[in-house]
Amino acid sequence: MPQLRKDPVIRRWVIIATERARRPGNFVTSQNVDFGNKKDCPFCHNTDPEIFAIRPQGSGSGDWQVKVAPSGTPILSIDTKFKRHGFGLYDVIKNYGAHEVVIETPEHIANMADLSQEQIRRVMEAYVSRFKDLEKDTNLQYVFVYKNYGLASGSRPIGHARSQIIASPVNPLRVKEKLAGAKKYYDYHERCLYCDMYRQELESKERLIRETEHFVAFSPFAPRFPFETIILPKKHCCDFADGVAGMEGDLALILKDILLRFKIGLDDPAYNYVIHTAPLRQKRKGAKWQTIEEDYHWHIEIMPRLAKAAGFEKGSGFYICAIPPEDTAEFLRKVDVHA
Amino acid sequence: MPELRRDPIIGQWVVVANDQESLTPMAYEKEGHERTHESVCQFCPGREGYTPPEVAAVRFNGSQPNTQGWSTRVVPNKFPALKIEGGLDKRGIGIYDLLNGIGAHEVVVETADHHRDMADLSPEEIVWILRMYLDRGLNLAKDRRFKYIMVFKNFGESAGASVEHAHSQIIALPMVPKLVDAELEGSSSYYKFRGRCLFCDILEQEYADEERIIAQNDQFISFCPFVPRFPFEQWIMPKNHQPDFFALSEEDIMPLALMIKEALARMKACLNASYNFYIHTAPIGYKDREVYHWHIEIMPQLVKTKGYEWGTGLYQVLTSPAVAAGYLRDVDLS
Repeated sequence: MPQLRKDPVIRRWVIIATERARRPGNFVTSQNVDFGNKKDCPFCHNTDPEIFAIRPQGSGSGDWQVKVAPSGTPILSIDTKFKRHGFGLYDVIKNYGAHEVVIETPEHIANMADLSQEQIRRVMEAYVSRFKDLEKDTNLQYVFVYKNYGLASGSRPIGHARSQIIASPVNPLRVKEKLAGAKKYYDYHERCLYCDMYRQELESKERLIRETEHFVAFSPFAPRFPFETIILPKKHCCDFADGVAGMEGDLALILKDILLRFKIGLDDPAYNYVIHTAPLRQKRKGAKWQTIEEDYHWHIEIMPRLAKAAGFEKGSGFYICAIPPEDTAEFLRKVDVHA
Repeated sequence: MPELRRDPIIGQWVVVANDQESLTPMAYEKEGHERTHESVCQFCPGREGYTPPEVAAVRFNGSQPNTQGWSTRVVPNKFPALKIEGGLDKRGIGIYDLLNGIGAHEVVVETADHHRDMADLSPEEIVWILRMYLDRGLNLAKDRRFKYIMVFKNFGESAGASVEHAHSQIIALPMVPKLVDAELEGSSSYYKFRGRCLFCDILEQEYADEERIIAQNDQFISFCPFVPRFPFEQWIMPKNHQPDFFALSEEDIMPLALMIKEALARMKACLNASYNFYIHTAPIGYKDREVYHWHIEIMPQLVKTKGYEWGTGLYQVLTSPAVAAGYLRDVDLS
């Protein structure tokens, strides 16, 4: 019997197929990607303006280890003046915001899974530094970090590890839904939904993939896609930049671990990740944000791009996940990351 | 630079290209649509025994069920996402809620001809398909376990179609899907505030602005919405306020078939892309008849969903709806 499961945060129902379920191994999809030529790589010897960089201690201007540059194909840009206007029924904002590329390594390595834990920790530090800087602009409401790896993820065919940061003057729809769902739960229970979630996942262990000192990684109870994974910090904090302080190395450890499990277990699939954090809260201490410090909890969503969303899913917001998350979690748990 | 637009129904912000920088239909990569599986196609005439027994059909010359001699045929999905037998058995596990996957999942084989898509069918043939949607929808709505009937179509591999023979699908669900729920919520709060149907007001603005309209007849209009989620997204809407697709009147069936035919034919000539369409209608037994307005959303599959779109719901559309409507309008259908 298939099940209908409800996402406890945004209250979306998902069909979890059981009888027509395939084995986790059926989802293995090698990309066979031509990542292009190293000598044409625009990130190897990047000459774009430097917004931020991490360098080895003591070297003021030499070679960078992580570099943040403006996106070459920005979807939002800071060049225009912030202005809201109406167009009949609709609300419009002239383009405003920021779009940056985090070049994760000077070396031509495609997959973040192949970077050292130390290097991934530097990437996390670069994210934090950019969050801290971008939140000073009070016209901005939301900053998110995301990563596209492999062609099926929407990435360009360039084999050099990078992630991107978008600072937006509005809260995106799914973020608003998550915030509203977490607040509703808090209003009723006076506890953080995500704190309850990680405790339940640690206790049941069915969907647990990996636990470290400060983090848990698990397959969500009602995933939209097979092998969707959440990394949740045990320590409650609504904000990524504040919450990760002191735990950057541990986050790098669990992120590398999960990405390696994908790479080895699913034969190097394309994937995306997004860091979910609270909206920027300067000057917005109104009623809407009164309990946000208590009710929201930052986290990372990771999704290998294995299944296509068809019309049913796109048009209804109602997903069919072809395999139970308990099975995918078990599969990922068993991957030998030291092989 | 593109601008940020917020749709008034669910409050979604989308980064939309401006008219000057919009991508043309040629700029998108499209997959081919060769049909190569006719010899093993289970939806073709003569192979009626390969599908589960039909639940409805448009038949000619008194032909018997599950034999040849049909034009449109509805069969249960051989690999249903939901099962029809059993109780819902709602339950909770800690913070999580779940219930049994009860529902109906049916396939509408749209034509006996393996080589034609809905865009190639005559308006009369599309009328038969619509009659099947209505017939099955009204029938399934009688089952008290169900709250929502969803009609949708996937055309082409990248749109998720696993069978190349033209077909659409009907799913009866024990709950209202998220997006429709969000639309109901948005249009209810609009109605409470203004006392008018939000979708009727959207149409008023479309008539006034004109530039996003693709086609219209006396009963229906097709246009590119001001805040699309996908490039060349197209909506078909009844001009008069109607909450429920399954209450479609007899005299509206042919005008709707003509509008669907025109919308799909224009899209095919302009893009020849894979696409999805789905009918958004009020839930079964929905009481507030003033609030909701049924419509069809058609989404060509031209771009891969990027990480941030999937993760945050902030979409980017590289062709403005005014430019898209211009291309679709300019198609010569003669």
